[in-house]
Amino acid sequence: MSENAQKIEPANNSEPPYERQLKLVPAKKKSFWSKNKHGILFASPWILGLLIFYAIPLFSSIYFSFTTYSILQPGEFVGLQNYKDLFTDSLFWKSVYNTVYFAVFFVPLSIIFGVALAMMLNMNVKGMGIYRTIFFLPTLVPHVALAVLWMWLLNPGFGLVNGLLSTIGIDGPAWLGSVTWSKPSLIMMSLWGIGQAVIIYLAGLGDIPEDYYDAAKVDGANWYQKMRHITLPLLTPVIFFNLVMGIIAAFQQFTLPYTLTQGQGTPANSLSFYVMYLYDNGFKFFKMGYASAMAWILFVIIMALTALVFITSKRWVHYQGK
Amino acid sequence: MIKSKKMMMKLGMVSVLTLSTVMAGCSSDSGSGATEDGKTTVTFWHSLTDSTGDAAEAVIKAFEEQNPDIKINSVYTANQGEGQNEKLLTAVSGGNPPDVAYFDRFEIGSWAAQGSLEDLSALAEESGINEETYYPFAWEEASYDGNLYGLPISTDSRLVYFNVDHFEEVGLDPENPPRTIAELEDAADKLTIKDGNRFERIGFIPWFGQGWLYGWGWSFGGEFFDPETNMVTANDPKIVEALQWMTDFGQKYNVEDIAGFTDSQGDGAMDPFLTSQLSMKVSGPWEVSAINKFKPDLNYGVFPIPTPTGEDHTTWSGGWSVVIPKGAKNKDAAWEFMKFFGGEEGQKIFSEIARDFSVIDSVNEELGYKDDPILGEFVEILPVSNNRPVMTQGSLYWNELASAVENATRGIVTPQEALDNVTEKVNKELK
Repeated sequence: MSENAQKIEPANNSEPPYERQLKLVPAKKKSFWSKNKHGILFASPWILGLLIFYAIPLFSSIYFSFTTYSILQPGEFVGLQNYKDLFTDSLFWKSVYNTVYFAVFFVPLSIIFGVALAMMLNMNVKGMGIYRTIFFLPTLVPHVALAVLWMWLLNPGFGLVNGLLSTIGIDGPAWLGSVTWSKPSLIMMSLWGIGQAVIIYLAGLGDIPEDYYDAAKVDGANWYQKMRHITLPLLTPVIFFNLVMGIIAAFQQFTLPYTLTQGQGTPANSLSFYVMYLYDNGFKFFKMGYASAMAWILFVIIMALTALVFITSKRWVHYQGK
Repeated sequence: MIKSKKMMMKLGMVSVLTLSTVMAGCSSDSGSGATEDGKTTVTFWHSLTDSTGDAAEAVIKAFEEQNPDIKINSVYTANQGEGQNEKLLTAVSGGNPPDVAYFDRFEIGSWAAQGSLEDLSALAEESGINEETYYPFAWEEASYDGNLYGLPISTDSRLVYFNVDHFEEVGLDPENPPRTIAELEDAADKLTIKDGNRFERIGFIPWFGQGWLYGWGWSFGGEFFDPETNMVTANDPKIVEALQWMTDFGQKYNVEDIAGFTDSQGDGAMDPFLTSQLSMKVSGPWEVSAINKFKPDLNYGVFPIPTPTGEDHTTWSGGWSVVIPKGAKNKDAAWEFMKFFGGEEGQKIFSEIARDFSVIDSVNEELGYKDDPILGEFVEILPVSNNRPVMTQGSLYWNELASAVENATRGIVTPQEALDNVTEKVNKELK
């Protein structure tokens, strides 16, 4: 079916008029500007916005990372001093550790839960639209509201989570108040909002042709074999996309821990994340130069990880029709 | 073809015009400095709500009656305060600040060092305002490098609140509350009721509420800053001793269990001292309003933060001020308003409605704060109160000290190590 569609040649409208074919009329050279001016004008709000609010700050922050810029004062040029200082800053390393910890657990878990959830929400059950909506709803909750909600759920004394645990005889930990449990609590909260990823997985599942399953059925494959050899391989392009986006988002974790701890990263800096420390340096300690250096290190880390994922993707990402 | 081209041109024009109005909107000034019908408008940014908001409004009204040619445009700015001045920061760096801002005195040092506040020394001298008018710590905190950068408005102090009924229940004398650290520990021990890893009631938590290391460090006789060398001295042996005591206290009751208790508590009516789950708590005078509001029948008293010797009790005070950010357009009119707000008349109006202490001793006396059995204690200690050091990295030092307490009490590092790290890190920034 789709084979046929591909074979239809696009209609050729670009054939020049016969005067031109006979070279009776010389080709009129149009400048780039006159050819594209309307397009550029239409795109100008966006182009200007991108230049003024993204490109200029982005590239000037490279320069600022070599200075003691404080927003209020231009500061002096100090060369690589900010970068050198960062490597001996224990709180910087603590924030790197916390962020990597979060990413290492959150990203794989979000893929496992996201794919599993999407598969369940892809079943042919009555009222599926309602179930899908229910799982998507948490995504719509603003981060600040999410933080307040979970603070109550995880309240060590009166929280619902510890209340449920105590009914089965487990004395729950202090969750957000405990150095060991604060990061797992945060991961749990973040997993609650994977609706966005699930939507993408669902679209990916919808893309897998029924034919494969029919063929597998004829061959006598069970549900596990179908999932292992048809669903998962054909879902890899979507998993790949969510993996890259997930890594980027995990390294930029900010709103949730910042709201939960009033920006303090308590207890004992166990919730101090990279971007939180960056923000504090830039806007509280008058060290925007230092913060710019942190931003560029983060950029390099994310870039390197993304590149790594891209390089390995050739081995595990299977595109349909290849 | 021609028609659609014209259409395109029109649309292009429209989009450019829309954009230019947006850009113009960004640069137009937000109403400060404009003179309408001969009136000068002073823009005033503040973060005051509830009773303090009413108090500021009353001050503005009284000022405008006396100065018909000046109009105060009062703008509420959420989150203006300690370490939350992002909006003011960008306004100053963008060259479009308000004329007057309500400002945490604690940050005057670092902002003045950044050159983002107007020097008020000359204006103050002209108007005959000098340090004799205010409490010494308030004046000191509003000055940097010998120059005045803000006029103090309000202040507070910290004492230990205690539940009189709990004291009587366990046989402690509420007339003789703890004076020494040892007595405090003893009282806390008697008052605590622990069941497994849960506290039914806890006597005292040194770092709860306003139990910052500043309070304990000064009470143990330490010094946090050396103005001579412009260096912090967080690893002063006396401060290490204070943190060691806090750490030992936490270990005795198991710090994670205490965290489980404190994390379960709420604010306002849910405060553990108000719900009688906590018998003693370091807090400021504002606690009185909370108690009157949520638990008026609570039987309580206050005593100064105990010291190792039981003498030389002290505390520390913060509070607010008004400043003129650098680049303000109506400095003269702004100063008129500040002078009124920080002067005796404005202070009386503000302090009476806000129930915040004035920074002028005679105003506190006149408003009867000194005769109040609870508030009187807070006012009485003001003359010997400390202020947090005026320095360029006040916020960093504050955050580092808070982390040091967390890291030490949780047993991640020893108190000595924690405070050595703080000293090293902050001094590196001060150089």
